Amino acid sequence: MLHRPTSHSAAIGPGPVPSLANPGPALEQQPRHAPQAPSCGSEAFCVDPQALSSSHPRQHTQYPYVTGTSVLGITFKDGVLLACDTLGAYGSTKRYKSFDRLRKVNDVCMVGASGELSDFQYIMRLLEELSDDDFCMDDGHHLKPAEVHSYLTRVLYNRRNKMDPLWNSLVVGGFHSGKPFLGTVGMIGTSYTDAHLATGFGNHLARPLMREKHHPDMSEEEAVALMHECLKVCYYRDKNSINKFQLAKVTKDGVSISEPFALETNWGFKLFQNPAANAVGTW
Amino acid sequence: MFLTRSEYDRGVNTFSPEGRLFQVEYAIEAIKLGSTAIAVRTDEGVVMAVEKRVTSPLLEPSSIEKVAEIDDHIGVAMSGLTADARTLIDHGRVETQQHRFTYNEPMPLESLTQSLCDLALRFGEDEEGEVGMSRPFGVALLVAGWDAEGGPVLFHTDPSGTYVQYEAKAIGSGSEGAQTALQESYRKDMTLKEAEVLALSTLKQVMEEKVTATNVDIARVAPKWHLYSPTEVEEVIARL
Amino acid sequence: MATALPVRAQVPAAGQATKQHASWSPYDDNGGTVVAVAGDDYCIVAASTRMSTGYSILTRNKSKILRLNPKCVVASAGMQADMETLHKMLHSRHVTYQFNHRRPMSCPATAQLLSNTLYYKRFFPYYTFNLCAGLDDEGRGAVYTYDAIGSYERVGYGCQGSGKELIQPVLDNQLKAASPLVLPQQQWLSSLPLEQAVDLVKGAFVSAGERDIYTGDDVEILIITKDGIRTDSLQLKRD
Repeated sequence: MLHRPTSHSAAIGPGPVPSLANPGPALEQQPRHAPQAPSCGSEAFCVDPQALSSSHPRQHTQYPYVTGTSVLGITFKDGVLLACDTLGAYGSTKRYKSFDRLRKVNDVCMVGASGELSDFQYIMRLLEELSDDDFCMDDGHHLKPAEVHSYLTRVLYNRRNKMDPLWNSLVVGGFHSGKPFLGTVGMIGTSYTDAHLATGFGNHLARPLMREKHHPDMSEEEAVALMHECLKVCYYRDKNSINKFQLAKVTKDGVSISEPFALETNWGFKLFQNPAANAVGTW
Repeated sequence: MFLTRSEYDRGVNTFSPEGRLFQVEYAIEAIKLGSTAIAVRTDEGVVMAVEKRVTSPLLEPSSIEKVAEIDDHIGVAMSGLTADARTLIDHGRVETQQHRFTYNEPMPLESLTQSLCDLALRFGEDEEGEVGMSRPFGVALLVAGWDAEGGPVLFHTDPSGTYVQYEAKAIGSGSEGAQTALQESYRKDMTLKEAEVLALSTLKQVMEEKVTATNVDIARVAPKWHLYSPTEVEEVIARL
Repeated sequence: MATALPVRAQVPAAGQATKQHASWSPYDDNGGTVVAVAGDDYCIVAASTRMSTGYSILTRNKSKILRLNPKCVVASAGMQADMETLHKMLHSRHVTYQFNHRRPMSCPATAQLLSNTLYYKRFFPYYTFNLCAGLDDEGRGAVYTYDAIGSYERVGYGCQGSGKELIQPVLDNQLKAASPLVLPQQQWLSSLPLEQAVDLVKGAFVSAGERDIYTGDDVEILIITKDGIRTDSLQLKRD
């Protein structure tokens, strides 16, 4: 096969290569195993020496710029639902209003992202490279949802080890061998699976609703209704969200991501019209 | 010696058309020139007896080392190019200490033997960034040890990197005669003292000189490594 | 001359003198409590299954125990991502050990390996608080307790994690035999019968769950004897 440098080069250990540490061919040919090196585990923590010896100091992401807010995920009888809005916010500016934050990985798996959206695009490139390789092999094999989840965990964890985190909370939804899969990864590699999940504000706003109403054998209609309710609550309370959502579904029939839609909201309460009426002094 | 001797006996990486690696076979031949070493396993421990060729009355016999301690539960007896054995012994000492460092337990004997054989097989390899070994080791080892689980064990290794477990084994110039003698006299229920006598008397049969406390070394692993002092050797000689 | 544009970080924001950027730390404490008690011929290992961050519960069912073999397990509290990595590492080291030495890694060997593994990251430590527990070569219960950078000690019982301050004194009170300083050495393992010891552990978790917000939901209990590992569980309050 022709040499094609992938974004997740093995030369500096598992996980992706931060752009500044992209190894040249010289690095890849260096012997990697000293006799006394631990037989496993060390490489993940190795920092590319060439990247350190460059003349100006390394610049890492210090804070996020364009961000997406909560992603919600719930399992139901026949699959998994993910949902979020389509906003890419630049601070408190609604900068990009139709950004797809839910993406398909393959026929059994999808991811949703909150946090820095450029980092998410980079993560999607990693996943697409893996999916492209699977496609080229043409042997019918593809990454299972749990494998995608595990891979992303390693990617985010290794980047936090390099003190150069990918500023995202990701949600992985999938359906494989008759079972729904729902997992999440945080920016420092914190990962877990559960029957329902939410990143960011959603963990405070939507998950109490999910804990109350979710049950694993709920029908798709029930799940969609619950999801709409959660989205609505998040929209009412999360300043950085907009009323333009996408809902993604994965079942045995594959992944489908809906067109953006709006939910009916009600701002006609008296308190909204005159918020100070019953709260003299403060809000 | 080899009728098929040909161009194929030069490179260590080249098989002959009959499927032989001549350099390895020659290395095994080198051992047959070496001094005899014998090891006998009993349930109480393993005894090693080796011949030291004191070629000159001016030679200091204690400077000839044919048995060596790897760790306090493992010892080796060697025959062949003993200088090559130093490399193996050093490697073994590092491995056993590394194992103690990592796992706080003595290294299993078979693992150590495997590790020695891995090194023995590394001839002809160009190691990345450094010069590899140019030829096989010309030495055979009797690796004697005491396993925490299995008790006393004895292995034999040769330059091809093969290892085999034995109850009693002789290597070196007198190995053929000695092995036959061991086969006749070895019993599974031997005591350690009987094994000392068997090892030394077998050695005596194949040695040209008379056995004295200076021209043999005796060591045991039972369960710890111990190299016999001249008085202890004399005591064994007295029991022959 | 035009004044320089204010730097982002200096723009005053409502309620604050200067705007604070989101910042990040490579560490987080996901809470959780692990307990192990060694007996003459058994070892009990228990871990709460709640995983939290700050005042939020992330999930109610996350195991903190790595089962290496029927005689040795490792239980860790602290940061989940580090714990997962450490457990994966130990698992793979255990597999290679079995290939190389044709036997499962003993509990004392695992204890030393864990210590070294932690110390190798002395200057960027795993934020994990571990117990290595199981049966030793003589079949007696063994518990090893660690700090985050690999200092370790064999003890008769141990507790780590967010509920440590609540549970450890109870265990001290109920299980402490003669001081290890008394000569000649006295028995320092738990002398309790197995069932009583399990009850003690359960009681300790119930108490910790009352006061520690990071201990709750469920407790996963492993009972290690020469016949293998038996599991038990305990429901705690979900508040």
